[in-house]
Amino acid sequence: MRMTLSIAALACTIAGSAMAAEKTLTISVYSFAQDAYKKALYDPFEKICGCDLVIETGNSVERMAKIEANAADPVIDMAVISSQDALSLARKGLVSELDTSKLSDFAKLYPAAQDPIGGNMAVGYTFYASSIVYRKDLIDIKSWSDLLSEKLAGNVALPNITTTQGPLTLMMLAKASGNETGDYSPVISDIGKHADDIVTFFSRSSELAQLMNQEEVIAAPVGRFAWSRFKSSPLPFAWAEPAEGQAGGMNVMVMTKGNGNEELAYQLMDYWLSTEVQTRIAEALIDSPANMDVKLSDEVADNLTYGAELINSLNIIDPADILDSREGWVEQWNAEVIK
Amino acid sequence: MFLNTREGLALALPAAIFSMLLFLVPVGILLSEAFRSDLGWSLSGYTEFFSKPLNQKVFFRTLKLGVLVAGSAAVIGYAAAFCIVNLSPANRGRVFGLVVLPLMISPVARTYAWIVILGRTGIVNDAIVGLGLSDTPIRLLFTETAVFLGLLQLFLPLMIISLVSAMENIPRDVIPAARVLGANWLQVFFKVILPLTKEGLVVGGTLVFTGALTAYITPAILGGSKVLMLETLLYQRVNVANDFVSASVIAMILIVMSFSANLLLKRIATARK
Amino acid sequence: MRNLPIWIILGLTLTFMIGPFIIIIFAGASAGDALAFPPDGLSLKWYLKVFTIESFRESFLLSMFLAIFGTLTALLLGIPAAYALNRYKLPGDEAIRTIVAAPIIVPGIIVGLALLRYLVVPLDFTVTMALFLAHTALVLPYAVRVVSSSMNNLRADMEEAAVLLGCTRMQAFTKVVLPNIRGGVLAAFILGFVTSFNQVPVSLFLSGPGVKTLPIDMLAYMEITYDPSVAALSALLAFMSLAIVFVAERLLGFSRYV
Repeated sequence: MRMTLSIAALACTIAGSAMAAEKTLTISVYSFAQDAYKKALYDPFEKICGCDLVIETGNSVERMAKIEANAADPVIDMAVISSQDALSLARKGLVSELDTSKLSDFAKLYPAAQDPIGGNMAVGYTFYASSIVYRKDLIDIKSWSDLLSEKLAGNVALPNITTTQGPLTLMMLAKASGNETGDYSPVISDIGKHADDIVTFFSRSSELAQLMNQEEVIAAPVGRFAWSRFKSSPLPFAWAEPAEGQAGGMNVMVMTKGNGNEELAYQLMDYWLSTEVQTRIAEALIDSPANMDVKLSDEVADNLTYGAELINSLNIIDPADILDSREGWVEQWNAEVIK
Repeated sequence: MFLNTREGLALALPAAIFSMLLFLVPVGILLSEAFRSDLGWSLSGYTEFFSKPLNQKVFFRTLKLGVLVAGSAAVIGYAAAFCIVNLSPANRGRVFGLVVLPLMISPVARTYAWIVILGRTGIVNDAIVGLGLSDTPIRLLFTETAVFLGLLQLFLPLMIISLVSAMENIPRDVIPAARVLGANWLQVFFKVILPLTKEGLVVGGTLVFTGALTAYITPAILGGSKVLMLETLLYQRVNVANDFVSASVIAMILIVMSFSANLLLKRIATARK
Repeated sequence: MRNLPIWIILGLTLTFMIGPFIIIIFAGASAGDALAFPPDGLSLKWYLKVFTIESFRESFLLSMFLAIFGTLTALLLGIPAAYALNRYKLPGDEAIRTIVAAPIIVPGIIVGLALLRYLVVPLDFTVTMALFLAHTALVLPYAVRVVSSSMNNLRADMEEAAVLLGCTRMQAFTKVVLPNIRGGVLAAFILGFVTSFNQVPVSLFLSGPGVKTLPIDMLAYMEITYDPSVAALSALLAFMSLAIVFVAERLLGFSRYV
């Protein structure tokens, strides 16, 4: 009976647009660890602001497409995305400049996180390292070039070029082959030559986790934020520390332009960047902190990308380079890799 | 038969207008996008689309898989339908129920199962290695074989249902009569069964072929980016590149393919009367 | 056992078609954390977890709503159309038939994209509204076809007799035609319900924050993790569909109309 009522209620609201409460903040986030986020961030924030949070999840490509499709009348108020996606939105004029004076812990952020794409269009909230997850009982990974080696043929997966992790893998493969020019076309050709040895080009880490759990794949590049998926598996997974070092990236917050809900969005950003919440999120092993004041135990830090030393050692691509070259990469990728 | 035309139209038109406004008009606008360029009307969207090797490859792969799936469904479908109509009425009902059953299950679930079945440690590979067909497990996921199996499993019931209803209309004594007169089973099939069931074959073939062309989940989950089909390519073009021209071209190709398959099958069915 | 070859062929075919479903049921009952078959031990934890996932509850209600009201609306449009196409000599009846049947032939993904771009964005339709319209249009061909075929079996002179005996046309329809096509209408409803409920491509582009049909939500959940709860949910939904069909079959021999 309750269900019949709910359906009837839905029927009544279908024509009208407003079925939400008075104060609603709609945010677009990555899909992983939503249960943990709910505990560490969403629920406490809803209590403080007295508002409803509507959470839109998905992979970054889909979320970007949606923000763009609804540019005239933004559905999403605030989004957390990769720095290059943020730059892409900024170039299209879809996000607005941030007033950093509304973020009380702004000065505590790592300098790299304070204005990552220029013009105060975004602010970084987490860093992540990116390396290779592998089955330590079956193989040993010493270099990024091992990904395309004979011993992994038929057992390796790579991130699709359209994902955030894709360009990072290109960069590290280039570095491993001694190519520091920033021109990745030889690397793409090389991947193309090995295309038959690669099980798939994945776009979600959940899919990769399933493939690694059923032993379809024994090594693949992933971001540190997905490490918990593997660590909890009964299979012996390890995080590689290749000779070329680890790649890295930053995820940022942006405010969609003209959403009319700026005040609430700032309130959430302020809360999310605060030392209190950044610590709580880090201790739940979700995201590594961008706030320098966060102090973590060694045990927690070991699971994250933590500390100035590590963060400064990461190989990072300038988001502008990715944006400017991506179309060419995809073109070449489609011609030589997915052929 | 009533002759009051106005009354009849008043009853029939709401449905037609609904379909027209909410379906054909938006789809029509989308299809026209590929012909609109900055310089006016042109075919450049199409020439550009087909100039890319990847797009050609995806086009031919989609066509190939569609034909293979429809063809295999027809072969298996005839065998299964022939068996079903030869069962006792009670068993026929039960088996027919089992054939309809998969249609009631979400395609997400039906496709999802294949990830586990076709994996390196899945039951298919266990069987292959166990039977000594191969020393090591073979890679099945993210291959055309995986997409083929997924699509066949998804659409086979439609073929069997169409063929069973066609075969039920074959008069009972025709096949035994043909056998008595000395026809072998091949002759019985091509001279008796096929001509009498071709309408069912046309319906089933169109449903399976169109279904295989326009399935999204199966190629997305079992093929991934290595085995793109037109439907997954369309989704990717829109979502990755906001490329509505390619989307419009693919939409047109899919519609033309389904229509021509239907026409072709109908033509074949009526040709040898 | 003259029938042995028959049962072997049917056995193999049915295993191929139904096997994956059996695997889903067991994969969902795994005691382990990963989707696997055979499962790592048996437990009901994933079946129970399905009910605790809030977004599944919301998307289930949306899909129910679309399947029920979309199909009812399609029947409301479709029954008169089927009746008119059967009983009247209409100018352009072939055209009407083709237009109404078009949604079957046009790939769903295109329909979803077209509605998003030309209804939702420029005309300010809500996503829910667009989904409702799309699902209604999608079910309409089935409604017209199934109701038509059950009307075909009904002789028109019964209705004429009713009119001669003093019924109004409306009464003749409700008292003579409707009771006789009841089975066809119910079959059309079930067929439409299942088609709408399981529909993926149309809804692929039609989703917004908090507005997702259940199959799309299942795909979204698979972005997060491939844990066995999607398998468990799939199995539960399949049992729901089966229960509906079973009841319908018992009541009026549903499979005659499919």
